[in-house]
Amino acid sequence: MFKTFTERPIALIGDDGKKVARQLYPWPPETLLQLLWDMLRARLVDERLVTLLRQGKTSFYAQSSGMEATQVALAHAIRIGHDWVWPYYRDQGLVLTMGLSLPRFLAQLLGTKLDYSKGRQMPHHFSAPELRLVSISSSIASEVPPATGTAMAQKYLGTDEITVCTFGDGATSEGDWHAGLNMAAVQQAPVLFVCENNQWAVSAGLRTQTAAPNLAIKAQGYGMPGYYVDGQDVLACLAVLSEAAEQVRREGNPVLVECLSYRYGTHSSADDDSSYRSPAEVASWKARDPIQRFQRFLERQGLLPSEEERRAFAAQVQSELEAAAKEAEAGGSPAPEELFDDVYSDLPDHLAVQRALLLSER
Amino acid sequence: MKLNLCQALGRAMREELARDGQVVVLGEDVGRRGGVFLITEGLQEEFGARRVIDTPLSEASIVGAAVGMAVRGLRPIAEIQFADYIYPGIDQIFSQVAKIRYRSGGQFCAPLVIRAPSGGGVRGGHHHSQSPEAIFAHTPGLKVVMPSTPADGLGLLKAAVRCDDPVVFFEPKRLYRASKEEVPDGEHLVELGRAALRREGSDLSLIGYGGMMPELIKAAEALGGQGVSAEVLDLRSLVPWDREAVLASAAKTGRVLLASEAPRIANFMGEVAYVVQEELFDQLLAPVLQVAGFDTPYPYAQEKEYFPGANRVLKAAARLLAY
Ligand SMILES: Cc1ncc(C[n+]2csc(CCOP(=O)(O)OP(=O)(O)O)c2C)c(N)n1
Ligand SMILES: [Mg+2]
Repeated sequence: MFKTFTERPIALIGDDGKKVARQLYPWPPETLLQLLWDMLRARLVDERLVTLLRQGKTSFYAQSSGMEATQVALAHAIRIGHDWVWPYYRDQGLVLTMGLSLPRFLAQLLGTKLDYSKGRQMPHHFSAPELRLVSISSSIASEVPPATGTAMAQKYLGTDEITVCTFGDGATSEGDWHAGLNMAAVQQAPVLFVCENNQWAVSAGLRTQTAAPNLAIKAQGYGMPGYYVDGQDVLACLAVLSEAAEQVRREGNPVLVECLSYRYGTHSSADDDSSYRSPAEVASWKARDPIQRFQRFLERQGLLPSEEERRAFAAQVQSELEAAAKEAEAGGSPAPEELFDDVYSDLPDHLAVQRALLLSER
Repeated sequence: MKLNLCQALGRAMREELARDGQVVVLGEDVGRRGGVFLITEGLQEEFGARRVIDTPLSEASIVGAAVGMAVRGLRPIAEIQFADYIYPGIDQIFSQVAKIRYRSGGQFCAPLVIRAPSGGGVRGGHHHSQSPEAIFAHTPGLKVVMPSTPADGLGLLKAAVRCDDPVVFFEPKRLYRASKEEVPDGEHLVELGRAALRREGSDLSLIGYGGMMPELIKAAEALGGQGVSAEVLDLRSLVPWDREAVLASAAKTGRVLLASEAPRIANFMGEVAYVVQEELFDQLLAPVLQVAGFDTPYPYAQEKEYFPGANRVLKAAARLLAY
């Protein structure tokens, strides 16, 4: 069992890849390698999508590079397709690792027909019913109370599912965040709250957000366990998140895990970070890169795939992406009149009239 | 000097901060970043972090703190990053901002401005495109304003800061950088509650506000080409709105088309239509028509089709003229 409310983030391996914990978990080599491939894939997709954006194919993109350890480990720590997930918009590493197919993923970014949400949402609002990945709202922290409700329903229905709820550091300032955590603790609802603390909320650094030493400590005020984890250490993330998920499942009470990480890119393609953070700061965090660190660890264990294998993997992801982009674009855009679908379960008269007006304009 | 709407709004805040030491600006990213639309750019450098405050990510904190500051004598300008994100602050707006003067029998008041970019035009999907002005207009105690030109942005925002009532100030983000216009150099104030005649005409009245104004002007120009003389009126303020100007125009032309980007049901323009028919029933040559957004959330892929642009306005105008 890990300690709650540590002053320093829980880490299992150091920047140099040496283990710092007394014991490591007995993960089989396949799991360790899968973590690497999943992180590499998330990084490659992220980098490739910035290119798509530059080519004008998407209108908006928000990188998650730097945050792969947290997002990939979370996908490995839960029962995919069994547990319910209320994610947030920067979770591409999570949704890809959970198994959202690349064509579906790209279709969401492009707003094409293959998109599960029918082009209704701007890029980065992923969802997948078969993965129990609930549709994202852009409104920060608005997913937190609903996650508590889903967990209350799971408890009510007597399932062994849990609910996972993710959010950024900025989200912890919203009233809804407080409302959701407090209710979950009072109701003993099985939610795993995961704070992906990348230390910035657009231009607001962590000290603009909180005067507390960290965010995990807030759990204490709600009467739930809080874990403060090194979000650049994929093994620490996996160990703590797995243990926390099982604790939630077993005991049926909520847990908050904060993963301390960093976003390398600007907040989004609409942002310029030069006014609020220094290149030196970004560089210092890139030097603590979660993928590099894990590769150093694997190397020490004699498990690191050769450079050739890694290059072949990158080439494969690249060609998958190209094929996926074609597939995502193939069906074209949703028809204009589809904008009237799904407002309600039926089409009320007033919408039928408006739909006819739109059709008459063609 | 020629300014776009963003620059004009920035100038308004700069001038008010310089004029009155009680004025403060607060919101998400308004300081170091200068706001995500760069409207407050340079203000923190000039006036310091005490007066241009980067807040935690919480609209309830922003609006709620502004209320308390205003009660204690400051003149806060609170920025909500997008009108779509005003909802976490809405209890503060409805329960505190709008009611403190009334509930205290005039003993306490909260003169503050809440600025919020609204409407579509940035491919932002439903959470970066909404036009929620009607729900604020429906809440007694709030003044509601929406400029459509840089000069009005400057004059209305300055007037809003000096107003003794709370003002919810919507900014049509599709017009932020749409055009530049000559803005008066000296002190420029625009009285709240007064519409602006954008174009004189005699055959029909096109009345709107905010992001619809360029569409109405485009439509009026097209109608002009067909020999139809369209008058264009910009409401600028929704609460209070300029009944006199609207009724004068409606009485003159007898044909009224009301335009707004917001969804149709309970659209603010429904109130205007109601008053026009109540006051001028016997002078109207046709029923009052409305062009509005569809009663759906703002879609991402079909953003263009959703927006009630000049073509939809022209179709409605043709119906109006055919009566
Ligand atoms: C209620 C609300 N207010 C403001 C915004 C605008 N906004 C979008 S992202 C963001 C910062 C979020 O930061 P954080 O929660 O740390 O997540 P990150 O983007 O860093 O992953 C803001 C202010 C929003 N989406 N929702
Ligand atoms: Mg963040």
